[in-house]
Amino acid sequence: MISLTGMRHRQEVSKVASGASTGVNPECWVDDHGDCLYRYALLRVRRPEVAEDLVQETLCAAVRTYGKFQGKSSERSWLCSILKNKICDYFRKLGRETSFTDLEFLNDEMSQKFIDQGWNHDLGPADWKAETEVLMDRAEFWETFRDCLSKLPARVGDVFMLREMEEMETAQICQALRISQNNLWVILHRARMALRECLELNWFENKPKLRTDG
Amino acid sequence: MGNAEKSSSSAENPSLLAGRNWFERLLVSFIAKRTPKCREVVRLLSQSMEVKLPLTTRIKIRIHYLICVWCYRYGQQLQALRKIASSLPEHVDNCCSETLPHSSKERIKQALRETRNE
Repeated sequence: MISLTGMRHRQEVSKVASGASTGVNPECWVDDHGDCLYRYALLRVRRPEVAEDLVQETLCAAVRTYGKFQGKSSERSWLCSILKNKICDYFRKLGRETSFTDLEFLNDEMSQKFIDQGWNHDLGPADWKAETEVLMDRAEFWETFRDCLSKLPARVGDVFMLREMEEMETAQICQALRISQNNLWVILHRARMALRECLELNWFENKPKLRTDG
Repeated sequence: MGNAEKSSSSAENPSLLAGRNWFERLLVSFIAKRTPKCREVVRLLSQSMEVKLPLTTRIKIRIHYLICVWCYRYGQQLQALRKIASSLPEHVDNCCSETLPHSSKERIKQALRETRNE
């Protein structure tokens, strides 16, 4: 009985101590940001159980490093940046070799795009006529972008997102995925080409009507 | 290049020097012969997102833009693509609707309590 109260007392003390020093309840993070982190993780690793683990690792790491959080960014973007690091670590541990059959995915479309090494006149890039910021405020745009990302072969998408979303250094991606720098450039080039094309076809040329309310 | 010579195609390249009179046509073909072909330019543009290209290459690309608005747009759009992709994590709620199951949330909260008490 005494030991039990002692234990309870210790728990209370530690709760008060960390609560007082941090002023936050990490359990609220799960309710406030859990779904957001989970969605991002799921988009990147595709397997729900892995995504859940990444969210848990992220929040546990956040509890340990809360003292370093300066509050310069929002809580969510701070948690997001920790998750990005966890995603990078995940791919490092995975250490899979990128299959090169994926690289052939754009060969046919590429040859249509160019005639004698120049743009095929009917298929040259259109004028997007839009500010990126305005674009990014529109919820439907993100659905289109996600659909375009999901059309990339899995390995190609992984490389593109590691580079552009987690903003991993190219040398580190080469090391993690065991590919040469040249292959990395080829993969990124083709991923960009495919995404650009997909956005142009599915958003810019087929743009949903602008809502008057904004 | 193709852009300059194939003006009979249905969609003309609306670039700065689109070959309107004999002099401009001459200028276009002069530039076309001395700058990389479009297919190579788009490859270089992607590469320039990773490493700084040599000065001469960058100048050639700039001059190439004078005769090819498509490559110019392509370069702009690659920049936009980078901005868009890096902003996806903060807009993820707009494109994904999956939710963390309640049981998983409780499990994570338990893990957080344990981490906190370490």
